[in-house]
Amino acid sequence: MTSQPANQARSLMPSPAIKGEVQDFLVLCRRMKPLLGTLYLLGILVPEGLGYDGSLAQTRRGVLEETVRPWRSLDTYSYTKYHPMEEIYQWMVQITEKYSGVVTQHFLGMTYEIRPMYYLKISQPSANHKKIIWMDCGIHAREWIAPAFCQWFVKEILQNYKDNPRIGRLLRNLDFYVLPVLNIDGYVYTWTTDRLWRKSRSSHNNGTCFGTDLNRNFNVAWCSIGASKDCHDLTFCGTGPVSEPETKAVSSFVESKKESIVCFLTMHSYGQLILTPYGYTKNKSSNHEELIQVGQKAANALKKKHGTNYRVGSSADILYTTSGSSRDWARDIGIPFSYTFELRDNGTYGFILPASQIQATCEETMEAVLSVLDDVYEKYWDSNSAVKMTSTAMVLGLLVFFMSVF
Amino acid sequence: MPPRRQPPPASGPWGPRPAVLLLAPLLLLLALQGVAAAPVGAEGPEDSPGLQDAEFPSGLLQQAARAALHFFNFRAGSPSALRVLAAVLEGRATVNPKKGCQVDLVFTTDHYNPEVGEEHLGKCSARVFFRNQKPKPAINVTCTRLIEKNKRQEEDYLLYKHMKQLKTPLDVTSIPDSHGHIDPSLRPIWDLAFLGSSYVMWEKTTQSLHYYMAQISSVNQWKTNDDTIDFDYTVLLHEFSTQEIIPCRIHLVWYPGKPLKVKYHCQELQTPEEASGTEEGSAVAPTELNNF
Repeated sequence: MTSQPANQARSLMPSPAIKGEVQDFLVLCRRMKPLLGTLYLLGILVPEGLGYDGSLAQTRRGVLEETVRPWRSLDTYSYTKYHPMEEIYQWMVQITEKYSGVVTQHFLGMTYEIRPMYYLKISQPSANHKKIIWMDCGIHAREWIAPAFCQWFVKEILQNYKDNPRIGRLLRNLDFYVLPVLNIDGYVYTWTTDRLWRKSRSSHNNGTCFGTDLNRNFNVAWCSIGASKDCHDLTFCGTGPVSEPETKAVSSFVESKKESIVCFLTMHSYGQLILTPYGYTKNKSSNHEELIQVGQKAANALKKKHGTNYRVGSSADILYTTSGSSRDWARDIGIPFSYTFELRDNGTYGFILPASQIQATCEETMEAVLSVLDDVYEKYWDSNSAVKMTSTAMVLGLLVFFMSVF
Repeated sequence: MPPRRQPPPASGPWGPRPAVLLLAPLLLLLALQGVAAAPVGAEGPEDSPGLQDAEFPSGLLQQAARAALHFFNFRAGSPSALRVLAAVLEGRATVNPKKGCQVDLVFTTDHYNPEVGEEHLGKCSARVFFRNQKPKPAINVTCTRLIEKNKRQEEDYLLYKHMKQLKTPLDVTSIPDSHGHIDPSLRPIWDLAFLGSSYVMWEKTTQSLHYYMAQISSVNQWKTNDDTIDFDYTVLLHEFSTQEIIPCRIHLVWYPGKPLKVKYHCQELQTPEEASGTEEGSAVAPTELNNF
């Protein structure tokens, strides 16, 4: 029952002649999505390969029967272990409950294999108009340290916003939108089948190849460079810009909030890099100098924690050319501070970073992210930055004065 | 007296110079900010003299350093003294469009095994010659001696004895497991596998392709009948620019202090248009290097 409508919607989409019907159908599908999401959480939908252990599905069904206590407590949730998707879903619900004054869970869309995508909104109720910080993790399935960091980040903010003035001040004027796992289907696949899977799990070529590189699928210079039109390749850009439901979900939402989003952070591994736009060209964004400065400051803060070296630069300069990346797309729709973080390590363990390194990695990355957020905050709200801007304005003002007088 | 020419807009009777004088400090300030913001040590190929316009991937110096280090590790033949790249200190590249590209560089290295307490950074200087997009760059590399030869031999021998004691057949699937965990008793296997993979990764590296060892996906054979360790395994290499995972079957024979013997066979990517093929590279450790 449940998988049919979505599949039909996909197969109907290429024929625009039936526009009216398709529109109605898509509206129906859209309306059904939150319902599907809820049904999923209640365990009624159990797509194949849901969890890495079939017994978890049993446990969940078992719990429904005795609804009194949860099968896992937030108090015992380990942030220094890697968690399967089942547990991350549960964690999101529980952390929203525990910090219900500031956290809400929101539905973003459905994945190809019909799993719900949720983001957490951390927002202190206030009369102030807030700007938004967006963070997503796990767009590439095998980069497990990234979702681990998203969870760590949320935990740190929530555990410390009351007592830590640095974090407290950020929450006064900023809302955090965190998507702990973007490529859910791929992430599940790395638990059930192939630890080194990268792409999504969409089917192509009559089921002869699977997966789109979601970070080549955004609508920016799509598939022009550094991406492949071959569905077998790991940098396959998809059948068109934003062809994948996961990309569609993120870009629709981010686009709708773009006036408020000041910072777009997308977390990856590995390589120990802080990357600025662009990947699709060696040209630099209008605020490139500033982005490098802020990025370098973040790298310095990161290094202070455990001595880890990060390099900072544009993707085309220090990594390789790419088109269709979420970071480039975010910058080009006007979000000023747009970064890709490539977390530990440098290739020693690569994607399969030992869980024993989660804590150190998350601690140092936290310093880097907070450094960026401080700079963003000071740019938009701090009185100190007003002084800097005033002196520059003064010099320029004098210049204009002299030039106009004579 | 000839009539004064109509001055151009936004310029005084003294001409545009005063505006420049006023602008100069501002420009200087901006320039200084730009310099301060430049990342330390992130030299791109654009910075190096003698380079022609970029057919070059960014990070050519890093590329050369990695290749040099793979080669160094292989030649050292010592699983207890493996090094990883810390940072490139300096480098320059010169291009011969017909032949290829020569990179001279200095870089620092770190212990491969992060558990080891020593904070010692090693230093290497290398000359790397990439033949135009062909693999197996020619390498000349020397590194500061970090561990005394005797100590290294002793460590290797301890490793060797430990490995001899492992029961055969080895009851392992992948190393590390999905969570990155390597059982301490199996750590020497990982180190030895990395040593063998270093040879393969060196041979496969080009100007634009570079590799890391992602995982040992299976141990096919582990023999210690005679004195040597005879190790047949399948490793998954991660190629960075294509992001592909390439399985390689490697057979190595090792004895402490003796040159490593490696044979390998990697399963290459197949594109639908080309006939399926696998790249085969078999080699026994050369005693002499090609000089360029």
